[in-house]
Amino acid sequence: MVTPQKIEEWIKEAEERPESGLLILKLIAGRLRDLTERNEELLSENIALQDGTRVEEYRKRIAYLENQLEILTRRLGESEAGLVSGVAGPPKEATANLLAYTALGRILRIELVEATLGPGAQLGCLTGELQAGGEPVHLMIVREEEELLLLFTSGRISTHPVGGLRAVPSGEVWSLDEAGLPDEPHAGEQLACILPLSRLVLSDYFMQASRRGFVKKTMTSMAQSVLENHYLGRGAVQKTDRPLAMTLCKKGEQVALATLEGHLLGLNVDDLSYTTEERLRLEPHDHVVSLFGVSPEATMVFLTQSGKVIQRAAQSLEPAKSALSKGQALISPARLEQGVRFVGAAAVHAPDRILVLDAKGNLSLHLVSDLAGSGALPDENPLLTFCVLPGRP
Amino acid sequence: MMRKVGLDFGTSNSGVAVYDGHSVRLLPIDRQNIIPEVVKSVLYITRDYKCSIGQAAIDQYYRANVNRLRRFVRQWAGEIDYSGGEIQYVRDVYVFVDELQPGRLLQYLKTVLRKDLPGGYVGTQVFERYFTVADLIRVYLGQMKERAEEILGERIQGVTLGRPVKFADTPEQDRKAEETLRQAALEAGFREVDFELEPVAAALFYEQSMTRPGNVVVFDFGGGTLDIAVMRLGNPQSRKVFASGGVDIAGSDFDRAIIEKRLLAQFGLGRVGQQPEVLEMIQAVPDWIALPELATPQNRNILEKAIRAGLAPARLKSLLALIYNDLAFTFYNQVEAAKIALSSRGAAVISLDDQKIPVWELYTRRQFENDIQEYQAGVEKVILDTLAASGLEPAQIDAVVKTGGSSNIPLFTEMLGRLFGQEKVVQSDAFSSVAAGLAIRAAATLTLD
Repeated sequence: MVTPQKIEEWIKEAEERPESGLLILKLIAGRLRDLTERNEELLSENIALQDGTRVEEYRKRIAYLENQLEILTRRLGESEAGLVSGVAGPPKEATANLLAYTALGRILRIELVEATLGPGAQLGCLTGELQAGGEPVHLMIVREEEELLLLFTSGRISTHPVGGLRAVPSGEVWSLDEAGLPDEPHAGEQLACILPLSRLVLSDYFMQASRRGFVKKTMTSMAQSVLENHYLGRGAVQKTDRPLAMTLCKKGEQVALATLEGHLLGLNVDDLSYTTEERLRLEPHDHVVSLFGVSPEATMVFLTQSGKVIQRAAQSLEPAKSALSKGQALISPARLEQGVRFVGAAAVHAPDRILVLDAKGNLSLHLVSDLAGSGALPDENPLLTFCVLPGRP
Repeated sequence: MMRKVGLDFGTSNSGVAVYDGHSVRLLPIDRQNIIPEVVKSVLYITRDYKCSIGQAAIDQYYRANVNRLRRFVRQWAGEIDYSGGEIQYVRDVYVFVDELQPGRLLQYLKTVLRKDLPGGYVGTQVFERYFTVADLIRVYLGQMKERAEEILGERIQGVTLGRPVKFADTPEQDRKAEETLRQAALEAGFREVDFELEPVAAALFYEQSMTRPGNVVVFDFGGGTLDIAVMRLGNPQSRKVFASGGVDIAGSDFDRAIIEKRLLAQFGLGRVGQQPEVLEMIQAVPDWIALPELATPQNRNILEKAIRAGLAPARLKSLLALIYNDLAFTFYNQVEAAKIALSSRGAAVISLDDQKIPVWELYTRRQFENDIQEYQAGVEKVILDTLAASGLEPAQIDAVVKTGGSSNIPLFTEMLGRLFGQEKVVQSDAFSSVAAGLAIRAAATLTLD
């Protein structure tokens, strides 16, 4: 607040000590510069308010928050329902929900009893078509109250609660024929991947990757309109390409792509464009097998079809500096010639377990910390895929 | 050999020095500070009672507190009983406690030694524990001792502490303040504790540079007090204190004057009309003890209500941010920095712009000198009274030695020049001369074996 009285005092100081005059002038000029910049910002803000841009922005934000609220309310409702039924009946055994889903849209939910999930456990056998639609069965572990986002190869999406999927209990044999079909793929499309949505509120971007190494990020603040329109986009440019995986991430994080022939590409999320762009230069016979977020304290695990386990610290991941890169090669040319290929990769922590599916449908569980020592899984059959079961056994 | 050090426990800054019979060595106690030999007299205590002092305390405070989250919970504090007519009532008393508060920063520990009892400041509750003033000073001195021992590589048994000429207005309170300080030093682990007047200590250091004996006035003007000593120096055998005097006018009073006279308008003074609750908060801004205590949910409601009612909203938003973003310490530092800058130039800016608070005040030396005019008379009076008590005339004074941060203020330098002659006014090390002199005294009074 500059009053005439203050100005008078500044002038008197300058009169009394002329050397102060220049200093006062400099200080006032500096202030004037700051205020001019701020004025510029305020004017822009005013324009945005007057022409409705800002209002529209707030509307979108409100719609997004309302959507988040709805998801949370639905989840809370289910938790409460679970709580009420828990009071009425006998205490339920702690379970983990294993989802096995195929490209044809079949999703089998298996309730695994936590107590049986010790390291080395043989959980049972999955029967049916394990490579339907040319893609191996995918596995994932989710919580019962989770909401799932289903992404189809056409770019269409739909949501479905885990609780809405029919559960099959722990047992020795599960058939994919028993799997539900919550949203049958339309003509010409397949189920590309499934993403749990509980982290949506805490995330900034949906990150998609295609088989041919194209990536695309979409702001989660647009989730409301994305869900309303049931469309997120393919995240692939070429007709022969198809969306492969999707994850949620925050600003400043890193994601990694792993390919069949053992290439690893690190990407800084902030550097990526909102449009679909090719980031991984692939050989014609190679394709992406995994997309995953990498936190600094995590370890990256890569599994070959022969059961070899390659581990790398997250710090060793070098973010790609150029727009198109081949990534780091993790399999030597000699091994490639012998036919060694990656079936998948993931970021893990020491207490985690991994659940492995082999070509004969056998499901087995292994402690991550044990894998560091042995470097290989004891399975004799070729491996198809795996997923991470977080936490301590 | 037993080790005894000189320790200047100042209101704003402290320091430790040792003397080997030939030269004084100031210890770099605070390696994080720009001048490692000067330690800020601040103490930070975390929720798990880990304590730090100096720059580390300030850094930790900034890191953990500024713009942090708060969560107030209602806690039972006790009960009070009172009577109305023939009926005796007992009521529970509840307080709101910020359970996310990570720690407390305490400053001006020396000033509270001077507060008169009863009703004065005897201690403070730090989370679940009550710390008396002696406890707080013990912690501070203990850390100073530990760091000094680390630097010297040996244990320190004794200390000569500085004390102002006038700790308090009454001899009883003065003795009590010294006793509290002694007790704190003993509890901090010093086996031998004695005192020297701060201006006398500064004189002892100045004496090292004298080539011939002379009459010297020491003008020790720090953050908490002004201390004067008139002495004969230059020959240790004929060293004599003619008179000493002091007054509790110092740097912190000037900071307060600047805030009261120039900055309260930035927080709404003169614009909020008759709103006693809001006015009370604005008027608490210069009070470094009261300001952090204002951060209660009730006060937030009052301020937010006033802002919504359009009562000087921009100013009250600034007040809200100052109180609830824990920026009081930052604000006082800004004021102090501007005051210091005005000793060497004609204008300075007090600004909280970088903290997103629209406070910007261009402050000139002329304004500053007007604002502290009332103190000038008091300072001049104590100098003349002390000189009169010494029986010497200004013409008989050979040198006037300035020390302490506030002694750099040009208004007082000019005043000393006017009283004694500009050529006699010399500047000793503003922050270290007392500690250095105390080290010389410590070496002379070492009795431990």
